[in-house]
Parts: sequence; structure tokens; C-alpha cells
Amino acid sequence: MNTPGLMRAAPAGASLTADIEMVSRCRRGDSVAWRGLYDRYAPVVYRFLSAFGVPSEEREDACQEVFVAVYRSLGLFRGEARLSTWIYRIAARHAGRAARRRRVRGLLSTLLVREPPPPPAADPSERSERLQILDELVSKLSPKKRLVLVLFEIEGVPIEEVAKIAGCPENTAWSRLHYARAELTAMAKRRVR
Amino acid sequence: MTPQHRWPDGPDETSAELRRALDEASMRGPDDMMLRRGWSAVASPLEPPRARRGFWFAGGVATTAALVVAGAFWLGPRAVELAQSNGRDKGAKNEPATEPATEPATPGPRRLTLEGGVEAVLGRSSIMRIEDGAPRVEGGEVRFSVPHRQPGHPFVVRAEGYRVVVVGTRFGINVDGAPNGPPNGPKAVGVDVDEGIVEVWEAATQRRLARLTPGESWQSPDVAAEAPAAPAAVEPAPAPSEAAPTIPTPARNLRRTGKHGARTLALASPGETATERASAAETPTAEAVAARAALVSGDAPRALQLYRTLAQGTGPSAENAAYEVGKVLNEKLGQPTNAVAAWRHYRAAYPDGILRVEADVSIIETLARTGDSDEALSEATDFLRRRPDSERRAEIARLAGDLYRARGDCRHAVSAYQITLGASRPRDVVEAAAFHRADCLVRLGDAGGADAARAYLRAYPTGKFRGEAAALTSGAGSAPRP
Repeated sequence: MNTPGLMRAAPAGASLTADIEMVSRCRRGDSVAWRGLYDRYAPVVYRFLSAFGVPSEEREDACQEVFVAVYRSLGLFRGEARLSTWIYRIAARHAGRAARRRRVRGLLSTLLVREPPPPPAADPSERSERLQILDELVSKLSPKKRLVLVLFEIEGVPIEEVAKIAGCPENTAWSRLHYARAELTAMAKRRVR
Repeated sequence: MTPQHRWPDGPDETSAELRRALDEASMRGPDDMMLRRGWSAVASPLEPPRARRGFWFAGGVATTAALVVAGAFWLGPRAVELAQSNGRDKGAKNEPATEPATEPATPGPRRLTLEGGVEAVLGRSSIMRIEDGAPRVEGGEVRFSVPHRQPGHPFVVRAEGYRVVVVGTRFGINVDGAPNGPPNGPKAVGVDVDEGIVEVWEAATQRRLARLTPGESWQSPDVAAEAPAAPAAVEPAPAPSEAAPTIPTPARNLRRTGKHGARTLALASPGETATERASAAETPTAEAVAARAALVSGDAPRALQLYRTLAQGTGPSAENAAYEVGKVLNEKLGQPTNAVAAWRHYRAAYPDGILRVEADVSIIETLARTGDSDEALSEATDFLRRRPDSERRAEIARLAGDLYRARGDCRHAVSAYQITLGASRPRDVVEAAAFHRADCLVRLGDAGGADAARAYLRAYPTGKFRGEAAALTSGAGSAPRP
């Protein structure tokens, strides 16, 4: 059960001290530090948003919006958690809001236009059908379980960080992960049949 | 070294597929172009990101605007207003009813301290309203002195349809038009800067109109004065809506008029000619947007033309365009030879460009696909030699291995596959390299071939070459094969 995380969330060499130093440089208006932060975390945020179910046509904008939010909130980073944890929290909040907006939009267009929304365009960069199926299955999980599964299994975030991002006790994170895995496996098996 | 997933750990095919899918998902990432576009958007974070404006959003804005107008007409101002009236003449009957109860009117300028230590000096006829904690200047002149702010907490003042964004400076805003005039009457806005840097944004379109340094000032168009002349002078805008901005970009549309002895930048009037609009539309950004739009609409020749024009310029846009020329030629127009030439041109122009690796990989893949294996191998070998740390190394090495194998050169193929095995991803590339290396070793009569095949089976028990690998271990490879 205690599957270790993949430990890819915090880039190699990233420590809390380095995080705090980087953020304070950004706060002072150091554009090189801001560029460094972007280069380090943009791929992470993009991957997270992809796995969390943000459609391909919205991902680029969503990623930019997350970084604007990160910049605007730099003054609130207290260094109590890793910078990656903090950025994941912002990205998760943003992805959740975007999902709610999409749901409302879909509902309204169904009610008012009486036409189903067009299917999302396939992302040419997603070469694997396997990946598309995974995205589809993951999107069927509840947001809480999805968050934990994506962070732990895809992002490789250690469970204690996952708990911080999800805002729940560590045991709850383990429990959500357990049920998310079970549901994902069951869905995959049903699909094969 | 990227660890592989231990869960799901079932021996069945579904679990294996799920494992592979999770591995792939953990390797997913944006391409370089996407990262570059993202950086352009957030490099200056005071600029809001590009927003997708669906019709729901437009509808929401329209509804909100209608409610605000209706509110202004029928409900009257509700927010706390800080105002001074200049209508204190005898008999003045329409003195604003927005006089703040806590701030008795005085005849001279009044100094207020706002949240965050911001000092505002209101002129005699100024009207300022606080909305959601942020000031809105509705009439007259207000001068601000803003202590330096932390990044991420800019101070924003609204004036008519504009937002003035600062991080610490001294500046003034002047909204022309009688404070006693109609609440929704058009007013011109002026901004001048004493210290620091101030940005002026159009609130509705979220476009930055001007960036002002000390001594500069900015003036919005005088809507009321220009409105009658505008319809006659305006010619139809160019077709692509994105290429013909309603508010032209500052660089081309601000002109110096020398007001107040300082450089004054004034927006070109709405009545500018179509030529002027077209000129504004031909900024590099507009061309890039138009090129992307042309690609989306399937007009690849137009996109190619735009990218080629853009590539003539300088800077990141030109660099991106130089690479995109090859991409359009290859993917949209089916001209791989020309595409390779275009990418080589890119490499010559930007030997250390950010898309250099992409260009190299594109050239190698395209040459291999078109059957020019000599050139492809030459490029691949050069890439592997020059790029020991590239993330694309495994892919290129596998491609080189395949090309060597296709020409029967198993010895070199083994060396190339060996490079791929030094990496851990992409998983399918590494898996294929592991099998083909074993196969090549067997063909060479190397005793390690069977061991390599067994290693493959251990690493990929449900791999797609498991049948062939099992055959290699069972003696099929005991003698050299052609």
C-alpha cells in the first residue's frame, strides 16, 4: 500500500531555502528569477493541468493564468511548504474553477441552445490513444480522488505534500488514493470487457 | 532516472496498460513553442493573460454593462463618494449629491490617505469614488503618490474605461468633462507621471495602451469631440478581427503632441484611415496571430506567407516564424525537402536558438521519413555527438539504430540502441531499443543476445515484442542470422 511517490514534483536540488530565495528575488522584481521559476514549473503545471482533465484547447491559457496567479500571490508565499506544493495548490484551485465553469457552460448550452457542446478537439501532441483513454477514465473520478491520484501517481508528489495540497489529513489522502486506484482499475477493466 | 510505476501491480494486461498510460502521463509536457508563448504572456505579469472570450463571457459583460447603465440612470450612485463640487456659485442647483458625509467640502485641494499609504490629492472639481477598495476617478484631477508596492500587488485606479496600473510612483489622472454632466457622458482621460512607471489599460479589452515613464503623459481620445466625424472617416476594418484591433497598439498609434512641456502621447482617433489600421495590423504580433488563424482555418499558403514575412524581422517572433515555416511546409503543404531547407536556414540564422533542438530533430525525422537515410544518419550522429544532455537523445539514438539496422549494419545499430537504453523514456522507445538491440546481437552471433532478450522479457513481461524476444532466448539466435 505504501507505494512510494515518484519524487519528481520537486525538481532536483530544489530545497525550501532555495524556494524562499527564488520567491524573494521574484518579489524584488528580479526578472531572471521569475524566468527561472517559470522555466522550472511551467512544464509541471502544464502536465498537472493535462492530467487533471483541463481540455487541450484550454491548457495553454490555463497554464498562463496559473502563472499570473502565482505572480500576483508571491507576497503570500510564507515558505511553510515547498514552492512546488504551493504552485500545485494554485493550479488545482484554478483547474477546479475551470471545470466548474465548463460544467455550467455545458449545462447552459444544453438547456438554451439545445445542441450538445462540440467534442473537444484532439490534441495533436497527444500521440497515444492510451493516454487519451487514461484521461477519460481519470476525468470520471470525483475531483477529490482525482486530485490525489494525479498528484501521487502522475506527478510523483509524496503523500504528505499531497495532503497539504488537498487540504486534508495524510490518512485521508491515503484513503482517497486507495479508492481512486480501485475505481480506476475497475473502470479500466470494464472498458477492456 | 525516472522510476516506473509499481501500481497497478497486477499481472494482467489491463494493469500493464494502465501502468504504461500512467508512465506516459507523467512524461507529458508542453512543447517549446507553447512554453515560449506562455513566457511571452507572463514575462510582464501585469499584463493579463490572453482570455478566451466565448459568447457566454460576452453575454455576461453585456448584461453587466446594461445593469450598470440602468443602475446609473435609475438607482443613482450608491457607493461612497469623495467629491468636491465646483458648483458652489450662488444659485448652483445641481451640486453633486455625492458629497461625502464625513468629509466636509473645502474650497482648496484636499489630501486623502487611502489604503496602503497611498496619498491622493483631489483638485477643486474632482470626484473620486471608492469601489471594492480601489479608487475610481470620475471627474477632475486627482494626483496620487503611491509607496512602492510588492510585486503582485499593483495599485490600480480606474478612470472611465481605463485602468491605470502602478507599482509605486507619483502620477496624476485627469478626467475631463463636467462633474455635473450626465453620469454616462463621454469623458476624456489624461494621465501624467512624475515618478516611476505607470501603465494605462483599456478595461474592456484588457489591452495595455501605454507605458509611461516620468515626464510622459497620455491622453485618451476625446470621444465627444470626435464622435460626429468618425463615421464618415472610418473605412471598413480589415477582415481578421484579431488583426484589426479596436484600440491600436501604443507603439504605432501614440503620437507626440508636446503638451505641458513634456512628451505627451495621444491615442490616434477612431477616425483613422484604413491604411493606418492596416499598418497597425501588420505588427509582428498581429502577423503571428493571423498566421495561426490561417493555419486553423486550413489556409496553409497564407500562413506560410505570413511566417516568411515575419521571419524577415528580428527577435523571438522572427525566430519562431523561421521555425514554423519548415513546419508548415512539412506538415501542411507536403514539401519535406523544402521543410528541411527551411529548418537548416533556421539553424544558420539561430545557431543557439531556443528551437535549435526541435529543428535538429525535425530535420532528422523528416530525412528518415523521406528515405534519405544517409543524410538522416549523418544528422543523427552529429546530434548525438553535440547533444549529450538532450532529452531527445533517446529518440534520435533509436532512430539511428533503426536506420543502421535497415541497412544491415547491426554493429552500429547496437551502439545506437545502447545510447537509448541509457535513458529511461519515452518508455516505448526504450522498450523497442531493448528488443532490437537483443535482436541485433543475436544476428551478430553475440552470446549476449539471448541474455539481452531475457533482460527484455524481465523488464517488459507484457511488452509488444515478447513473442519475438522469447524466440530469441529459445535458441533461435544461436547462429548468426542474415
